[in-house]
Amino acid sequence: MSQVHDITDEASFHRYLDNLPSNSLAVLNFHTPWAAPCKQMSSVVSTLADSYPLTSPSLVSFFSINAEELPDISEQYDVAVVPFLVLLRDKKVLETLSGSDAAKVRDAVERHAGKGTVTTAKAEIPPLQKVKAPTAADANGVTETANSQDQLPSQSNPATTGASTADGETSSSEKAALFARLDKLVSAAPVMLFMKGTPSEPRCGFSRQVVSLLRGRGVRYGFFNILADEEVRQGLKEYSDWPTFPQLYVDKELVGGLDIVSCSLSRELAVLASPITLSANGSSCR
Amino acid sequence: MSTVVSQTPVEDVIRSKIVEALKPSTLEIYNDSHLHSHHEAMRGGTSRETHFRLVITSAAFKSKMQPARHRMVYSLLKEEMERPGGIHALQLRTRTLEEEGRQKEREKQEQGEMIADVEQL
Repeated sequence: MSQVHDITDEASFHRYLDNLPSNSLAVLNFHTPWAAPCKQMSSVVSTLADSYPLTSPSLVSFFSINAEELPDISEQYDVAVVPFLVLLRDKKVLETLSGSDAAKVRDAVERHAGKGTVTTAKAEIPPLQKVKAPTAADANGVTETANSQDQLPSQSNPATTGASTADGETSSSEKAALFARLDKLVSAAPVMLFMKGTPSEPRCGFSRQVVSLLRGRGVRYGFFNILADEEVRQGLKEYSDWPTFPQLYVDKELVGGLDIVSCSLSRELAVLASPITLSANGSSCR
Repeated sequence: MSTVVSQTPVEDVIRSKIVEALKPSTLEIYNDSHLHSHHEAMRGGTSRETHFRLVITSAAFKSKMQPARHRMVYSLLKEEMERPGGIHALQLRTRTLEEEGRQKEREKQEQGEMIADVEQL
């Protein structure tokens, strides 16, 4: 699994490049550590790096460069905005990417270096996160954690299951990869709601009611809009053997849909109460 | 002898499947489709039997948690739910005879309290 080399000075940067074979791809991630989009991109790049095996000689290598601290290198590559990605081969610039599109970055790297073949727990590129400011406190004085998980509809799940398997194997390993992804999604927060739409814009009456019930009880939860991801929508039905949405999970366990949630809450069961008191910093989702 | 074709084929299937499998002491089927017929997901559909609310009391639910009970009903109606234009949404209240009894007691109590409040006004 490749790592991202953190460049601290110009000399070592040039040494690295000098030592790379002329056919290998170098991915340079120019960033500033304090900018949120850069944090996001750095995480994308390190996940991507993970999926490429360490080879000798190196076929693809990843570098992280603090644009503010290394202005000369930044100038050399015309870095005007961050995050900024430069793809090099034999010290020549193949392509540059600015902005925060994880899918584009992955595409570009795959185009020049082939698909990553290492499947590890970190092999998946996290979806883009938009962190909204918390909504105004409601009557209970508790705010809903509004870490949203807005997945780009076109961003398909990178099936990094190895390019060389036979067809039959690919589909079962694709399903395993999907289930592994779902496994992570349901544990993204102590209380996870898979719904149609988002808490601020529910697209279904039942989802809206669950959101309202949770808000009324001051429950902090993460959410996932299944309308934005057909693969998760259909996959979860099979994963949990549950045909409908919304679906509420507490500590990875499926509690149920609106009926069960409203029943539990009206009977003041402790099921949902514990995550509120235990999680001090609210929930976040990938 | 003429046979009348049922206007509610889906409801009929629901009733017969649940009765046969769960032998319920109470089975109430509410068709809420008209409440949702204007929804985006329902556009282009012609069925008037898409959204149902079921209240079921059965001993088959004993010692099963709610998710498991719901799963029993879902699996009975799997075909109707998977068929395009079939059941789109299913709301369920699943209880045992004891639970139904307790719920009725609670409701009676609450009503009693309400009446008492009114009398005090």
